[in-house]
Amino acid sequence: MEPMKLQRERQGNLRGGRGWYGAAAEMESEKKKAAMAEDSDVDELLAALGYKVRSSNMADIAQKLEQAEMAMGSSVVANDDALFFQLAADTVHYNPSDISTWVDNILSELNGPPPPPVSSPPPNAPAPLDPQKRHPEALPSDAAQSSITTVELPLPTRRPAQVYDLEPLPAVNVARARGRFAYSSDPQMDVVDPSPRDSKRIKFCSSPPSSSSSTTDAATSTASNLPAVVVDTQEAGICLVHALLACAEAVEQGNLQAADALVKQITVLAASQGGAMRKVAAYFAEALARRIYRPPPLGGVVGCPSFDSVAFDDMLHAHFYESCPYLKFAHFTANQAILEAFAGFRRVHVVDFGMRQGLQWPALLQALALRPGGPPSFRLTGIGPPQPDNSDALQEVGWKLAQFAETIRVDFRYRGFVASSLADLEPSMLLGKNSDDCGGAEKEEPEVVAVNSVLELHRLLARPGALEKVLGTIRAVRPRILTVVEQEANHNGGTFHERFTEALRYYSTMFDSMEGGGKSGGERDQVMSELYLGRQICNVVACEGAERRERHEAVEQWRERLTGAGFESVPIGSNAFKQASMLLALFAGGDGYRVEEKDGSLTLGWHTRPLIAASAWRVAAAAADSRFAR
Amino acid sequence: MAGGNEINANESKMAVPLNTWVLISNFKLAYNLLRRPDGTFDRHLAEFLDRKVPANVTPVNGIISFDVLIDRPNNLVARIYRPAPATAAGSIPIFTDLYQPPSSDTFPVIIFFHGGSFAHSSSNSAIYDSLCRRFVSLCDAVVISVNYRRAPEYKYPCAYDDGWAALKWASAEPWLRSGKEGKLRVFLAGDSSGGNIAHHVAVRAAESGIEIAGNILLNSMFGGNRRTESEQRLDGKYFVTIQDRDWYWKAFLPEGADRDHPACNPFGPNGVRLEGLAFPKSLVIVAGLDLVQDWQLAYAEGLKTAGHFVKVVYREQATIGFYLLPNTNHFYEVMEEIKEFVRFNL
Repeated sequence: MEPMKLQRERQGNLRGGRGWYGAAAEMESEKKKAAMAEDSDVDELLAALGYKVRSSNMADIAQKLEQAEMAMGSSVVANDDALFFQLAADTVHYNPSDISTWVDNILSELNGPPPPPVSSPPPNAPAPLDPQKRHPEALPSDAAQSSITTVELPLPTRRPAQVYDLEPLPAVNVARARGRFAYSSDPQMDVVDPSPRDSKRIKFCSSPPSSSSSTTDAATSTASNLPAVVVDTQEAGICLVHALLACAEAVEQGNLQAADALVKQITVLAASQGGAMRKVAAYFAEALARRIYRPPPLGGVVGCPSFDSVAFDDMLHAHFYESCPYLKFAHFTANQAILEAFAGFRRVHVVDFGMRQGLQWPALLQALALRPGGPPSFRLTGIGPPQPDNSDALQEVGWKLAQFAETIRVDFRYRGFVASSLADLEPSMLLGKNSDDCGGAEKEEPEVVAVNSVLELHRLLARPGALEKVLGTIRAVRPRILTVVEQEANHNGGTFHERFTEALRYYSTMFDSMEGGGKSGGERDQVMSELYLGRQICNVVACEGAERRERHEAVEQWRERLTGAGFESVPIGSNAFKQASMLLALFAGGDGYRVEEKDGSLTLGWHTRPLIAASAWRVAAAAADSRFAR
Repeated sequence: MAGGNEINANESKMAVPLNTWVLISNFKLAYNLLRRPDGTFDRHLAEFLDRKVPANVTPVNGIISFDVLIDRPNNLVARIYRPAPATAAGSIPIFTDLYQPPSSDTFPVIIFFHGGSFAHSSSNSAIYDSLCRRFVSLCDAVVISVNYRRAPEYKYPCAYDDGWAALKWASAEPWLRSGKEGKLRVFLAGDSSGGNIAHHVAVRAAESGIEIAGNILLNSMFGGNRRTESEQRLDGKYFVTIQDRDWYWKAFLPEGADRDHPACNPFGPNGVRLEGLAFPKSLVIVAGLDLVQDWQLAYAEGLKTAGHFVKVVYREQATIGFYLLPNTNHFYEVMEEIKEFVRFNL
């Protein structure tokens, strides 16, 4: 612990010592006050149905809905169905809970470029766009849209307040005019070229704070919201679950004799079960047994199977990747967010907090290679744990990726960092220029950074302060995007019994999804995947303190942690959702998998139970501070 | 017409509270984006936009919910809502508690089919989760919300088959039985397309000798080839258009069928005679600003003519979706009607 404390103090000094901490704390309480004030204005009835609408904003939103309705209605009148549906198909939606920005987005899409007009009036010189406009995302762009220039239509002048007094327009002009009168307060405003899709992604996410911020105890509030999908209603299955839960309770109460008896009973019951339930029960029983028989807590905990080999871990992880879609979904969704964040930049840098076998990166490299205008120059920093046998797996992975990158002609550089904990990382390590950087020209091109963390952050919760340190490091690197994927479960709060119950539900569902129709890959993949999950089960159930690294938390809890640390959500949109859903249908074939959107994050689950959540973040504008600059 | 649209907006705005107007208009806008003119449906966008809630075995207002896989091959899931089982205060009910009868007295089981014109929504949609919880506390019932297969991917009769599967499943669950005779006291309920499904499942139940205590149809979805007076009068006025109704029927009904298909028009030229069938008593709730009302009233007439008990509750000033938000008299008074109907026919 000592070295870490020193490090934090050192950091504090670098940033102005106590002053920085004080200011940060103040900023946070201000934000909290603002959040609470906003919360009280939220329409409760709509909130209960999943929509965040401020009462004070209600009339305004109603107006916008009307505008959108009319804008769409007139397209039908003009028989422009095909055009309308093309627009509808191309529109990317974000965060539907925030009706206000959702409708704004639709309006701005409908406000998009006119098609080449049938009989075009002479184009006028474009007037500069008023920066005070309500919809800042409709920015004039430099994107070359060759045939469409700004066009001013001869609309009757109207006072802004009367923008809804619409005259029926001649059909040929409707398609172009549609967006013009939708919300412009300046009747002379020119239709602008479409902002490139990329710049839209930059828009500030102005959704009201999520409802979970109204609770103080994120852990218990989320624990109560995690669902149960009950798939086994056979008599024996029920007895088995009953015995497992009773055993957990006995363990919690210290009644080790009863617990021991129950473990034996569970083993017998499990043997007569089939399928997923048998396997899950076996792992939980084993974990309970370890917990029961561990020596008195004196710093040493029995913990879990003694295969501490990193290579073994990575191998299990790779089998899990193959046998079910959860990691593929994670990689795909994170890559989508990274790709969008990287749009327009010629030098990009990904920091991967859990490099392992680099399974995520070939797909991203491929996507970058296919970028219009050619791929950027790509740098990858891979973080991995120390290898006991001193092998350089981390470098090997980099080498393989470099070879792949060469075949698809992407300029690729790699650096691997060994760290036993992410908390050992310093910003300078992640930012430091490669020694083989060439001279001045490259230094002028800005490099954008994406930090990617798949199933890594929860481990940091095992040591106090570690997560805060890492989030600070990430902030200092000023990433354009931070992608976070975590198990969608609360295995880190409440009592042991509550944790056990949550874990039993979670892993039962997980195992069930891998049984039968839900699996891909081979027999071996499945067996290894079960072992991979089994080790997690063991850690959740049998371990405590620093040993218990599988401290999963649900995405609402991560949201609280991340927003508290100065990050804001970058909502993942309907395009990523669609593609994830379609890929699932292709690769998983199983109809039980479901992608869901919640507050800007995407989750993949089995039937109605989300099991893994992917979200994207960036440093919040308010927290953007010169003291954090590189 | 643009001007016409504006008048409609004002009319509908005057008929419902503002937050209701925003909710239903929001759906309307979203749904317009999802229905393609060629009859296909943007399912991915629909799932993205739909606000869903997880099941929750931690009591909320004394009610818990959990999902059950009723039929694995069809991935048929249903969400069960029930009063929280009696466990130690504050503790999460364990698995086995879920399957205990909620009461030693008789209690109703309501099999609920959510609306969405056969194409939209799910049993875990937030609007329906809320409604089902309301039914539990209203009637001290166990509510089973069926996640039936939807159009246009799954046309007639898939939704009815799934409803039937749910009924059979409920009939086989011992913990759902109550009373001296230890029998299942089941009501079929639904709004919009769900009401239509409730009717057709009830017919099948009656034909198979399964006793249904009652049917509850809320703004149920029926239609026919001819344009009724209410459809013409109210077209586009209160969130709904004839055009969208037509689209949904085309999506649900078999290829080549028209709206006089018995699924759509059960008392029309192709309807099944219900005389002499042990068809349950029905509570038919009709909103006076719903353009489908003439079909709903014709449905009620059809039941009466066939000798079956119907109570029609006609809410003159109500629009579609009035039962989604507890902010009008329509909501509370209709809930009372439902409560009385269930209590009376239990």
